[in-house]
Amino acid sequence: MSHYLEFMTIPMIFLIIFGISMVCSIVLLWKKVPLHYVRYHIIMISVPPIVALLGLFIDHRTELVGPWRFDSLSWLLAFFVLTIGLIVQRFSVRYLFGDRSYRKYFTLLTLTTFADSLAWLSNDLRLLLICWGVTLLGLTLLIRLNKEWQVAKNAGTFAGRQFLLSWLILLLAVVWLSQATGHWQLSLILENLAQLAPWERTGISILLIVAMMIPAAQFPFQRWLLDSVVAPTPVSAVMHAGIVNAGGIMFTRFAPLFSGNSAQVILLVLSGFSILLGTGIMLVHVDYKRQLVGSTIAQMGFMLIQCALGAYLAAIIHAILHGLFKASLFLQAGSAVQHGGTHSLKNRPIPYIWVIIGGILGLITSIGYWLTTGGEGYQIISTLILGWSVMFAWTGLVAFGQGRVGRIAGFMILAGAVLMFHFIHSALDRLLHETILSAMQPPAPAVIWVLLILLGGSAIGLWLAHKRSSKAFTITYLWLVHLGEPHKDLVESHPKYLAKSLSYRGAYRWQQH
Amino acid sequence: MATTLARPLNWEKIPEDLSLDIHDLVKSASDVIAPLGPISRFAARSPWAGLEKQSFEQTARFFKKISDIELFPKDSVLQTARNQDEIDIHFLEKGLQQWLEHQAIELPYTTAQEFCRAALTQNPLSSDLTVLPEVKSLAKRLRGYKFHLKARHSVKPLSQRFDQMNGEWVLRELNRNMIKWCKLFLDESQAVWSMPNRDEGFYQAWRKMASLDPALTQEERKRIKNLPKEADLALIESLSQLGISYSDTQDYLEAHLLALPGWAGMMLWRSQQQVKDCSFLTDYLAVRISMELVLMKPYLPLLKQGGEEDGLLESLVAAWLHWGNLPINAWYKMPASEQKARLNLAWRFDQIVRNRLWLEAWEKTYENQLMEQIVSKQQTASSQKQPSLAQFVFCIDVRSEPFRRSLEHIGGFETFGTAGFFSLPIETCKLDHHHSHPSLPVMSKPQFKVKEYLPESQYQPFHERQQAVHSLSGTFKTMKHNLLASMLLPEVSGPWLSMQTLARTFLPRSAGRTFRKLLDTWTMKPDAQLTIDRIERPKTELPVGFSNEEKVHYAEQALKMMGLTDHFAPLVVICGHGSHSINNPYAASLDCGACGGASSAFNARVLAEMCNLAIVRQALKARGISIPEDTVFAATEHITTLDELHWVYLPQLSDQAEEAYTHIQEVLPKVSEEANAERISKLPSLKTNLKNPHAEAERLSEDWSEIRPEWGLAGNAAFVIGERSLTEECDLEGRVFLHNYNWKKDKNGSLLAGIIAGPATVCQWINLQYYASAVAPHYYGSGNKTTQTVTAGIGVMQGNASDLLSGLPWQSVMQSDESLYHAPIRLLVVIQAPTEYVERLLNQDRTFKQKVQNGWLRLASIDPEGNWKSWS
Ligand SMILES: [Zn+2]
Repeated sequence: MSHYLEFMTIPMIFLIIFGISMVCSIVLLWKKVPLHYVRYHIIMISVPPIVALLGLFIDHRTELVGPWRFDSLSWLLAFFVLTIGLIVQRFSVRYLFGDRSYRKYFTLLTLTTFADSLAWLSNDLRLLLICWGVTLLGLTLLIRLNKEWQVAKNAGTFAGRQFLLSWLILLLAVVWLSQATGHWQLSLILENLAQLAPWERTGISILLIVAMMIPAAQFPFQRWLLDSVVAPTPVSAVMHAGIVNAGGIMFTRFAPLFSGNSAQVILLVLSGFSILLGTGIMLVHVDYKRQLVGSTIAQMGFMLIQCALGAYLAAIIHAILHGLFKASLFLQAGSAVQHGGTHSLKNRPIPYIWVIIGGILGLITSIGYWLTTGGEGYQIISTLILGWSVMFAWTGLVAFGQGRVGRIAGFMILAGAVLMFHFIHSALDRLLHETILSAMQPPAPAVIWVLLILLGGSAIGLWLAHKRSSKAFTITYLWLVHLGEPHKDLVESHPKYLAKSLSYRGAYRWQQH
Repeated sequence: MATTLARPLNWEKIPEDLSLDIHDLVKSASDVIAPLGPISRFAARSPWAGLEKQSFEQTARFFKKISDIELFPKDSVLQTARNQDEIDIHFLEKGLQQWLEHQAIELPYTTAQEFCRAALTQNPLSSDLTVLPEVKSLAKRLRGYKFHLKARHSVKPLSQRFDQMNGEWVLRELNRNMIKWCKLFLDESQAVWSMPNRDEGFYQAWRKMASLDPALTQEERKRIKNLPKEADLALIESLSQLGISYSDTQDYLEAHLLALPGWAGMMLWRSQQQVKDCSFLTDYLAVRISMELVLMKPYLPLLKQGGEEDGLLESLVAAWLHWGNLPINAWYKMPASEQKARLNLAWRFDQIVRNRLWLEAWEKTYENQLMEQIVSKQQTASSQKQPSLAQFVFCIDVRSEPFRRSLEHIGGFETFGTAGFFSLPIETCKLDHHHSHPSLPVMSKPQFKVKEYLPESQYQPFHERQQAVHSLSGTFKTMKHNLLASMLLPEVSGPWLSMQTLARTFLPRSAGRTFRKLLDTWTMKPDAQLTIDRIERPKTELPVGFSNEEKVHYAEQALKMMGLTDHFAPLVVICGHGSHSINNPYAASLDCGACGGASSAFNARVLAEMCNLAIVRQALKARGISIPEDTVFAATEHITTLDELHWVYLPQLSDQAEEAYTHIQEVLPKVSEEANAERISKLPSLKTNLKNPHAEAERLSEDWSEIRPEWGLAGNAAFVIGERSLTEECDLEGRVFLHNYNWKKDKNGSLLAGIIAGPATVCQWINLQYYASAVAPHYYGSGNKTTQTVTAGIGVMQGNASDLLSGLPWQSVMQSDESLYHAPIRLLVVIQAPTEYVERLLNQDRTFKQKVQNGWLRLASIDPEGNWKSWS
């Protein structure tokens, strides 16, 4: 009985605490509240992720509470998004100290991450639309929060327009879906998919795909993410960690709609191209944050391809781990200054034997993985990536290690990384395998296409890198630079807004803002 | 800059040796910008070091005209300073009188004075007045006088003039292209695919690449393709096609350099580093002006420049109306000569003059306060002293002052101040580093190299451990850039990175310390030795180590400079200083400015080791500096973020020195605590009362989210050259550089000349850099830290892309977005010496005299009787 009560209450507790935290963050806007209240605010917003974590580990069943849906996936996503929000807000306490919009940052960040996590808890699609809309709105406001700075304002407006477009398309898809099936509840819709005509399924899928490619900054919608480098570092961290990966989550939720659907071709083609574009931007650009944007475009492309191939579990794992990875890299953007020379491997003799051992090890890993997983569809691709990465990491860490100490240390690091990788994957796998349906195997041409993108892209890259003086290289280089550049209206040679009105050692007047 | 020869030549009649000439023109034009080195060795530089031939005010006018930048503090800043009693109105009045005495105005003195006083102290002119119809019609009547009020004509880039006529796009497009090409070209290995053709020089590489650039139109690419092959020819050709006359050329180049002073400054810096890069700046200008031509070609020739002074007369009339209470009707009744005089006065007494007077009053007020403090405390200072237990030598850095005060407060210690490179012109190379660092003021070149080394048996294991750390970050980077491996990288490293992120975010202090400790335990850096002794190595450019004569020479020079030539205590501690902060691109700006943006602990150790050598001591004795047998030199690093002294070199101690050492170790925690408490309270914080300043200091230095790990040199205002006894009893609030100097030991004035030429220039540059970052934060400062991105591994840009930012970031001079922390006043140099000494100095050192006369710093002296004299 008590067990039963517990099951019932965790979602309830979560929703109540959630509401309280939200209200507390709005209180911060009130200028009479002293500024050190921010510290209590941080404590308040650290409770919801803890409850979400509890829910994830205690609550294993799928629970429908009103318009909400609580299952392992939604608990996990809520925990993930709220944790990212918490980290970034704690970081901002010192990082944005002194900023004109200090209070607004916290409220908006809370609103954005809370709405984002609610979106993935919604079973009712109307609620999902509202929450996702609020998330996008919050993000837009965060980008353009520094209103005095014209460039930031423009970037926010541009991103906002793109988001609105994406949201409207999503709205269309949802309305269509509910009209066709007669339900607003996602769980009911998915049960009644049979009522949809094949062309309707394709149409809705295409709408969903386009709606999700915009926030994922996939070609040809990559512009807004490239331009949003103007946002303060913590905002970028939230954006790259918790919002661009919405597509992966949405497709996972709608998985049955997509299975065996030819609309996936769009996703495969555009995301495949985005992987190449993003990687290319990362290779040629020299600004740290721009390189990170390039990397995000490529990673999101990969995540969407995982979805297109039906590997939803892999996509979710990728979305979450990439989020943590990218948030960390953004937050440590201040450490990107080059100190002295870099330690390059180029001038060192290649330790052939060690490299060959690495190759063999990579091969063994691949074969082992292939045999244990069954090796069809997406598994072929992960087999390839896994084997290649093991070989690659071995070369860097062990083969080129200096002396016995270096090689042993390198080996330990590699072993630690592999163990951790295995641990995290199996843990998430255990948590999610019931919630996330494994889709049908993708058609062979799709897999071949992805292999072609990955291998072909690598080969072309390698070939071009060896022909640096060729015209082909120059043109590729220039195109990648061009595609990765910000829009011309979003560049200002000097941040003139800083020269506006100032006082001298005025007591902390700004705290009143 | 103002004095280009007025040769009425046109480019059509080009003199034969013009290609030679253009390089000279570029060189003279480059005076308007300052070289900008990579941010990892942030160097304090005055942005106007090349402009000291003209006065500060003239420079301010020049920048106002060319780039619309105010070099004097804003009204709002001056007003708040006044409200906080930092500006004594009495000095403002005096300044105004002086100004009026130098003007030939045909108006009654009181009328002029009242008008000016009102303009200085009353509300600023609102723009509503200038648009009043009666003001406008009066201005029309008075138009005939405009001729008299004409300012010197200024040369602006065509793109900028076009800008005023037709919208902004050409100038923005030009800047955007320059930013793009500069960062790609100057990249230091952040990009995996670096820009092709880089080794052919900037212009060549640009010409080849830009003619294929998809960002340009077909037509523009074709124009680029047809440009001359050589940079200097292209520059001449473009100037001629743009219709720039020979006499305007230098001004034209200057204006172009000032459009993006950061990138141009980086080109200038690179051109000074290596002979093969010496034409970088010409290349830069060739690219920029060729690009301007390419963009502007369809619109050439432009209409005549004009209409610049529109609204001038209106504003003068409105000024009289507002401040002089002179109604419009009164103008029609007065004689023409009076009209002219009134217009003339209002015109001359413009914003720049007014702000200058305010700034000077602020500076005078500060000088007065400092004088009162020093002069009053001087009498109370005890004349006789106990022999001290230990002597500490600190860098002149303003952050040493509070620490020295706390240390002296304990009793038994004596402290000295000298420039933190300790007169050693060296390049340092740390163990296992590939690059060496010029550890001396940026205006000098190193003459020796000192390396850390270890015996091979110790070095190899250390090197292997160190490499293991590098291979981890190296592998991370290469995996990130490999298409296949990068897909897996987030999944492999994500968990590890997020653990680090969580720890650093929620437990900043302990996490930071733990990570640091873990790394130290792994690398186990052994105590390295220094190559103090000369190692003959014919191939390297710089000699490694010192010969015996050189050791004696530099030890003697250093001791004399710091004024420590007798009464040695048993333990002499040479204290370099460095700062600890993480995730901070500006970490180097918090290190020692006299060591070119690095910790000065290395130099401190070199000096201490040299002074302990028996040969050196013998030779010093022969030269009149006898160091007792028992005296031992040691070296520490003063960590300015923590207010702690860390020993970096501690040799075998004599009994007396041992005793001193034990005492020091006992009292240091107390000193740190005191210094922490004073310093931390000045940093903006959420906490209202700090219970544990030391813990807070530790957090500041380890917190990766900290935007202001310390104030650095913000607040700096004066440089005192004199005995410590002069300032011993004063609380100088960490705003003063202190250099020891005893005029009695400097009969011929050479020591003073040395201090002025070296350390004083360093201080002046630091001061002007802070000044510039405070008055023009968008142009000479580094912008907001939260929206910066590191670019090319060499510097930072704001937002999506911008000029390469120089100077100090917004957060280093501002305590919040709205209020300034650093007081933008020019450095006051105070010399404790007889008046003849200062006179001799001014006569001998022309550059210094020029700095004083032209207002680039301020000078005062205090003679042996304790009389204060202002020289500026
Ligand atoms: Zn220093």
